[in-house]
Amino acid sequence: MKRQHVESSNIASIGYDEKSQTLEIEFLNGGVYQYFDVSVNIYNSLMLAASHGQYLAQHIKGYYRYIKV
Amino acid sequence: MHNKSTYLGIIQDVKGTTVSVTLANESLSGLTYVDGEGYRIGQIGSFVKIPIGYVDLFGIVTQVGASAVPENQVATQPYGNRWMTIQLIGEGQRNGKFQRGISQYPTISDEIHLVSESDLQRIYGQSDKPYFVKVGHIAGAESIPALIDINKLITRHSAIVGTTGSGKSTTVASILNALSDREKYPSARILVFDIHGEYAQALKNKANIFKVNADKTEGSIEKDLFIPFWALNFEELCNVSLGAFGNEKDENIVLERILLAKLESIKSYPKDGINVETMNVDSPVAFNLNKLWYELYIECFATYYSRNSGNPIDNLAYERDGSGSELKGNMETAISPIFRKPKNEKEDNEKINYLPGNLNIGQQLLSLGAKLRIPRFNFLFKPGPWTPGPDGKTEEDLGSLIKEWIGSDKPITILDLSGVPIDILNTIIGVLLRIIYEGLFWARNLSQGGKNRPLLILMEEAHNYLNTESSALSIVQKIVKEGRKYGMGAMIVSQRPSEINSTILSQCGTFFALRLANATDRAHITSAVTDNLEGLTSMLPILRTGEAIILGEAVKLPMRTLIEAPPKDKRPDSQDPIIYDEKDLENSLYPGGWGIKMEENPNYDEFVEAWRGQSPFIKRIIKE
Repeated sequence: MKRQHVESSNIASIGYDEKSQTLEIEFLNGGVYQYFDVSVNIYNSLMLAASHGQYLAQHIKGYYRYIKV
Repeated sequence: MHNKSTYLGIIQDVKGTTVSVTLANESLSGLTYVDGEGYRIGQIGSFVKIPIGYVDLFGIVTQVGASAVPENQVATQPYGNRWMTIQLIGEGQRNGKFQRGISQYPTISDEIHLVSESDLQRIYGQSDKPYFVKVGHIAGAESIPALIDINKLITRHSAIVGTTGSGKSTTVASILNALSDREKYPSARILVFDIHGEYAQALKNKANIFKVNADKTEGSIEKDLFIPFWALNFEELCNVSLGAFGNEKDENIVLERILLAKLESIKSYPKDGINVETMNVDSPVAFNLNKLWYELYIECFATYYSRNSGNPIDNLAYERDGSGSELKGNMETAISPIFRKPKNEKEDNEKINYLPGNLNIGQQLLSLGAKLRIPRFNFLFKPGPWTPGPDGKTEEDLGSLIKEWIGSDKPITILDLSGVPIDILNTIIGVLLRIIYEGLFWARNLSQGGKNRPLLILMEEAHNYLNTESSALSIVQKIVKEGRKYGMGAMIVSQRPSEINSTILSQCGTFFALRLANATDRAHITSAVTDNLEGLTSMLPILRTGEAIILGEAVKLPMRTLIEAPPKDKRPDSQDPIIYDEKDLENSLYPGGWGIKMEENPNYDEFVEAWRGQSPFIKRIIKE
């Protein structure tokens, strides 16, 4: 999955696969995780949020299941 | 010389390699300055030198204070002079060459001097030689690299020991990264036995990864690990397939049958290096195990119509299914045939008897049949292109298998054994080591043999399979005892050195000792190291994470080293899981832990999918 580099205190890059509704997050420590069944709206909001880390903490962590890849 | 700033004191007593010293009064402050840099006096584990004529003797401080006072002096000066005990370790010429062992002893009234950073630089720092690799720097002297002589490191074997979380995996990754430098060592050859699948992530650019039931989805770099059963010797094959025999006669019958199958195969498909006269039951010659199993199964369980004329074997009494066809089973898929029950009644003309013969290995055959059917054992019994046909023909020979393992284009091969059934793991490790040892030994004069392209074998979590009862033990003992001559070096990694067989540990020339709290483990290391340096090993419980004492042949002097960790994405996957992240939720680099609430309706179907598949890669993951 292609990830886009972002400026954040904890996230290095973010990718999204619309067909499978999969969000991919790379943290600054190199860990890459895929969150499953994340709607495109959530992804768009994440990309537009002033703080990606804050949006991730408030709307994604604890709501979607994920796997380390 | 008394006014020299490095002066510490004078020798009062010499006993073997133990030297007692009284500290001079001038150095009472505990701190001294050499070339503008401050040094603490009398630090346990620090070095001192004793200049004698044209050479300097070097020693290490093991004891300071009242208990270092020699016994006969205790009464007269309980707190009097400040005493220090030193262990001698080697000597250095004035021109800078340092060597282990001493040619002469110091004597009373010789002076003891502090070893300054420039002395250390002289002893340790020779980075211009290409056979030294850097694994970090000397603790307390950042400018001095910790260099390791790879000639000694590999041929004389080594051990990396430390408590969980002391930085063992990082040390291994750091050493492997340094050794697999393609520019410096274009023919490096390293084989990693990875029990938990930790190293694939850290070394993926430099390594081929072989795994049982490899993840073969797109984007994965894992390849299938196959260990053809016919490459095993008779004992190993029985261990993983049939199990133990009840008596010697049965064992010999099976042995004869395997030999016969191998003979047939070699007649049809001759191989260089072996012929009908020279081969034995242990020779790696392909034969069809399913066929052998099927034949033995019939001999063991079959019944036949005893009134019929002709051979009993031609009149087998198969059970019939609903449509009337005989249940002959299937050799290929290891489905057992089903036979009718024996019967012998007066009125009934149809008599059914067991086949004559007294083969008593029913239990063993049932166990083998089950293994032939279970997919988890496919890496052994259906090893891809190395699976023999009915007459022993295989698509590929062993050459291509071993080339994949130790002759590929990449310096490191990782054998990820996390998918091997635990009850045969020991045998499998023994088999892999034996095949590689024998190969490198017999091919020692070839360019790809052990003498011309030595192999480093890294054994992770070695206490699991190198303890006294392990079946892999004898081959590892052989490797550590004889491997040096044929180009095989072992690097043994363990958190529990006391559980490793002591012969193996005592053959290790170099030790990377990280933090070790357990006293039994420490005693084991102390007794195994060649240097008489109890003072140094007593520091093991208080080492920092990532700090190691490197002792032995690959280093000139024992070094207290801060291991340089590889970049974050090149570290092994053995980090402790996060319970509660120290960073707050918004800045946390982890998506989980006890501090974050979990998703609603957690999905345990995927949980089971991973378990069933024996692989963390579920199909929901999006690749590329």
